[in-house]
Amino acid sequence: MSSPAAAKDTPPTIDPEAPRVEARLALDFARDAATGATVLAASVQEPPLRVVRAFALDDGSALAHLHNVSGGLLGGDRLTLVVNVGAGASVQLTTTGGTRIYRPRRNAPPTTQTTDIRVGENALLEYVPDAIIPYAGARFAQRTRIELAAGAGLFWWEVIAPGREARGEVFAYERIEMRTEVMAGGRLIAAENIRLDPRGSALRSIARLGEYRYWATFYICRVGLDLAAWLATEEHLRKAARDLKRPGETLWGVSTLLADGLVVRGLAVRGRDVLAGLHALWNTAKLRLYGRVAVPPRKVH
Amino acid sequence: MAADSEPPRPAAFASPEELADLRLLHLADTALPIGSLAHSFGLESLVDAGILEVGGLFDFLRGYLAEAGVMEAVFCRAAFRLAADSARELDTERWRELNGRLSALKPARESRAGSASLGRNFLTTVLALGESRMLREALESAKRLPATSIHHSLAFGLVSGALGFDEERAVLAYLHQAAANFVSACQRLLPLGQTDAARILWNLKPVMIEAARRSEGAEPESVACFTPLLDWGAMEHPALATRLFVS
Repeated sequence: MSSPAAAKDTPPTIDPEAPRVEARLALDFARDAATGATVLAASVQEPPLRVVRAFALDDGSALAHLHNVSGGLLGGDRLTLVVNVGAGASVQLTTTGGTRIYRPRRNAPPTTQTTDIRVGENALLEYVPDAIIPYAGARFAQRTRIELAAGAGLFWWEVIAPGREARGEVFAYERIEMRTEVMAGGRLIAAENIRLDPRGSALRSIARLGEYRYWATFYICRVGLDLAAWLATEEHLRKAARDLKRPGETLWGVSTLLADGLVVRGLAVRGRDVLAGLHALWNTAKLRLYGRVAVPPRKVH
Repeated sequence: MAADSEPPRPAAFASPEELADLRLLHLADTALPIGSLAHSFGLESLVDAGILEVGGLFDFLRGYLAEAGVMEAVFCRAAFRLAADSARELDTERWRELNGRLSALKPARESRAGSASLGRNFLTTVLALGESRMLREALESAKRLPATSIHHSLAFGLVSGALGFDEERAVLAYLHQAAANFVSACQRLLPLGQTDAARILWNLKPVMIEAARRSEGAEPESVACFTPLLDWGAMEHPALATRLFVS
């Protein structure tokens, strides 16, 4: 009889004949003119994607947890997330845990996730999920497009874990592709196309991750601030990033984008250092850009 | 007899291919006065942090060529084809779009600015060597919109297409000068002797060819690049206490 711990670590059984999932989660947030609070005005929720409800935060923002009730992404799944944050609204989105990308059946197409985000005039979106955890053999392709209107703000991060480290799965996945574009006022201000293929290219090369295992990218935007303001904010955040830096354990870099924002890059050996660093930099940036602290989302668990 | 100040006409016995080869060698020479020696693109921070040492240099450059090398080669090809496909008029909208996309793909401000400085200097230098309506339009169209940069790989590709070079040779030449510049920077940052530097560059040539091959089928809109440690180095560089390279 297997121990509870062993049962917990057992990979989910995947029926190779099971139909693949094609699902869409569309969330439309709006600012209530009477109260000034942000509400989830409309949603389309197709299983396994789900948002139970939007929680009201003290500052009038709405907090929503993105659930995947199947527990993770299966081989061949095609998921779409569409988020519209209306003018003046303020939204915080998070996940209920790490996004697990399971090993697909042989010859299954990659698991894909398409995210399309629009942040309206003077609105704010804080997208602060847990890490993406690709299991051994996982194939995952993600496409994200973010459009920011005049005065819109964004705190958006993504973290990629090396795998299930506790099981000894480090860079055992097959391939991860992530394409991200951030547009501000119709102009492309940031683009990322990464392809991680641990079997075909050495991720531990000094040109790539070196001795680090976790990688994070964090966009901080507020459309309309001029370049001088961003350079000063870059310097301010760099000082905070340097306080977090521990060579051989975690590194943080900050740089001004083409316009309207900054990008932060983090590398770490341990996952806990990544999320702690992101929260610290998020708070520093939000205080500077919005004059208020960043409130980490309450998790369902 | 032509005056000393007039450029000599090509000798009658020189074939166009021979002339093109020599011009390509000239434009890919790291001694071309465009400012290549002033930039380390993040290397200085990696050396300062003790991450990059002589023993890891070949592996680093191999990874660099497989990632950033392929990406720059894709843009070099795109500009080459833009020039080759333009009978007389440059498609300035596509030219600005390509430069804008490459800017967006460069997360570190300092590396973005360095690439843009080299590209503009490269185009200006070539125009000083001989007038070209298309290349002049490429320079002027970027000036008309101050936000438009001209990146080195794109300028190199456009010039190569405009001057009728062979596409494959042009892409390889671009990659070779990029790697040579990195090795040169490392000679100033690390205890790397001339013979060892020459050996590293010599041994990298098959890697350059592989990068050029991989760039053949990729598009600027989808080409991937993953160099997080080098990006960190470029982001950290403005904060280094002492710097040998431009910040």
